[in-house]
Amino acid sequence: MANTTLLNRREFMRLLATAAAAYPLSSLASSRQQALTLDHTIKEPWRTISAVQEHLFPAEKNSPGASDINALQYLQNMMATPDFDTEQRILIHNGVGWLNDLAKKQHAKIFIQLDTDSKEKILRQVESSNAGSRWLSTLLTYLIEALLSDPVYSGNPNGIGWDWLQHQPGFPLPTEDKKYFKMRKNRYRHTKA
Amino acid sequence: MSKDYDVCIIGSGAGGGPVALELAKAGKSVLVLEKGPWLTEKDFYKDELACCRRSVYTPQLEDEKHVIEEQYRDGSWQGESTEDSGWDFWNGNVVGGSSNFMSGFFYRLKPEDFHLRSEFGSIEGANIADWPISYDDLEPYYTKAETEIGISGQVKQHKYQEPRSTKDFPYPPTSEHPIVKHIDEACDQLGFSSLKTPRAILSKPDMGRKSCEYSGYCGSYGCSTGAKGSSRAALLNRAIKTGNCKILPNAKVVKIESDNKGNVTSVKYFDEKNIKKSVSAKIVVVACQAIETSRLLLASTGAKHPNGLGNNHNQLGKNLVFSAGGSGTGEFTYSKFDKLTADQLKIRGPFVNRNLQDWYFINDKKMGGTVKGGTIDFLLRHPNPISKAMRLKRDENDKLVWGKELKRKIKSAFVSTQDLRFEVFNDWLPTDNCFVSLDNKVKDKWGSAVAKIRIGYHEHDLKVGEYLSQKAIKVLQQMNADNIRYSVSGSPPANLVAGGCRFGNDIKTSVLNKDCKVHDVDNLYVTDGSFMPTGGSVPYTWTIYANSFRVADIIKKRL
Repeated sequence: MANTTLLNRREFMRLLATAAAAYPLSSLASSRQQALTLDHTIKEPWRTISAVQEHLFPAEKNSPGASDINALQYLQNMMATPDFDTEQRILIHNGVGWLNDLAKKQHAKIFIQLDTDSKEKILRQVESSNAGSRWLSTLLTYLIEALLSDPVYSGNPNGIGWDWLQHQPGFPLPTEDKKYFKMRKNRYRHTKA
Repeated sequence: MSKDYDVCIIGSGAGGGPVALELAKAGKSVLVLEKGPWLTEKDFYKDELACCRRSVYTPQLEDEKHVIEEQYRDGSWQGESTEDSGWDFWNGNVVGGSSNFMSGFFYRLKPEDFHLRSEFGSIEGANIADWPISYDDLEPYYTKAETEIGISGQVKQHKYQEPRSTKDFPYPPTSEHPIVKHIDEACDQLGFSSLKTPRAILSKPDMGRKSCEYSGYCGSYGCSTGAKGSSRAALLNRAIKTGNCKILPNAKVVKIESDNKGNVTSVKYFDEKNIKKSVSAKIVVVACQAIETSRLLLASTGAKHPNGLGNNHNQLGKNLVFSAGGSGTGEFTYSKFDKLTADQLKIRGPFVNRNLQDWYFINDKKMGGTVKGGTIDFLLRHPNPISKAMRLKRDENDKLVWGKELKRKIKSAFVSTQDLRFEVFNDWLPTDNCFVSLDNKVKDKWGSAVAKIRIGYHEHDLKVGEYLSQKAIKVLQQMNADNIRYSVSGSPPANLVAGGCRFGNDIKTSVLNKDCKVHDVDNLYVTDGSFMPTGGSVPYTWTIYANSFRVADIIKKRL
């Protein structure tokens, strides 16, 4: 039952090293600082993340897009769960910095101001670095989870993702007080050393 | 000196449950120490995240981990912590253990599995050994497990059908998916003998448990009805009702103490408040699943056991086995069938329950004569939709896929095909390169050395896995499946593990005697899959249950 989405520490240090080589040290440092001091109520990085999510999973006439599946709120809720991986949290924040630094350098704009083609090009550029690829992969992971996890976790509202894919969920479905991290919390309440 | 309990059982899974029930029923006082929490049917939901995406029923790897030793190209063995690799070797640390999350494909071993060495001879590089008991010794307990656990199925005679003391299973087979008709037809055309897979799942309510409700989410999900024959639902709940059995969840055992005669005196554990406690019992039974059982015994040093309990001949942790084999998939494209058939194929809920044992023993010149083969079982693709979609986020060049292209891929995978999978089970030959030891650097959150697992395999296992996979592929081809693919590898499935404390008649080559008592300790037994010198070519759980019932009878006679 490995959570394979989580970065392991060793790999993350390697990614940071790659990132430091690929980006000017100053911008990395500033985005890291920004990431660590950010409050969830502040508009960025969420505004950029939301725009990236919509690009990665666009709404179409007959199928839901990122906002239809509550992808942003889902990600925010997951990042607010106890035991959310610290390194992954830093990665998610840092990616926004890398992306907007690159957008400013090439277009003198931030990501959300770019047209669709430019967004695609710049995201593919971000993907070409290991850390950038890892960042996008992480966002895709949470998009897919928001599409197909139980609505109790705030993605997939009213089963919109299940309906789109003609997926039949199991039963019984989890209730508010049986969310997985509450079960986990009960378990570790007393045993955490 | 008086003891707190007659019997203290460490671990509450398939190895612990039968001993707890039998001794509690016999009026003995029983304590079960379980590391994990006590969850029940009321806690199990069909939750895509809790199942398979997060560590909920298993420890967080930062708290508790393993070190996995793999062989590198230069021949050296190097270990990596599972906290770093993310390769999770836990299977279910809750009351009832991983039997809560099993699929419950239940098979007996065959009589020949008890003496593979005599039957097929030795294989260079493999430590094959005959068992000190025969199939006839275990048969009554296989039968007992059918009624105690609630095993459903239907016997069909075939060339490798093992002998049975009863005519048929106590419960009829669970409901079957319409795809079964296509499997049976294909097998008939090929001259293969398709068999109904027995399941540890109640097909009708009994023993205070509900019948299966066919939600279509079974293996790796906890059961919400009690139909799945976990150690908890089938055995421990009844053990508690006797009034003689106490279960202590969140109790992590760190050491078994022994006296200067070498016998066990007490068990040291951390309770749910993380306070170190001690409890004594006349008899101690260890059943923590193979890897953790070896780890606990290795850590339990004493005056007469300087290298760990039962390790005076350096056998402890050795000859660990997994299940070898492989798996594959074929797709059935709905548009290729008439509407009625397509609608039937789409159904989710009932089980596939089909297996092939035509090559449990292989007689083929290509394989060098008669060799031990294995079992092929068929099942639908794992129902978790997130894992299914997640595989589509990279293309064949490992590049990320997103945008409309990703959406097309996901849509197509979900609405166009039903996927039939097969799994191959064959012997994981015991070798000197597959064993458990203690890591001298990596510790868990209680400060104990974690288990280091060397996971070498024997090349012969891959040959047999490949042979069987080709037979399974024939079935998929005969069914006109699209996009057939498969893989056979030496990568160990962490949920199919046994050995490490093999039983035998010679203390120099085994840890346990034929009663599963540690040779040179009077009052210490091991009742999980650790005892198995060879694994058989099927999942282990029924054999673990049966052997634990057997050992329970032995202990009962002593007390």
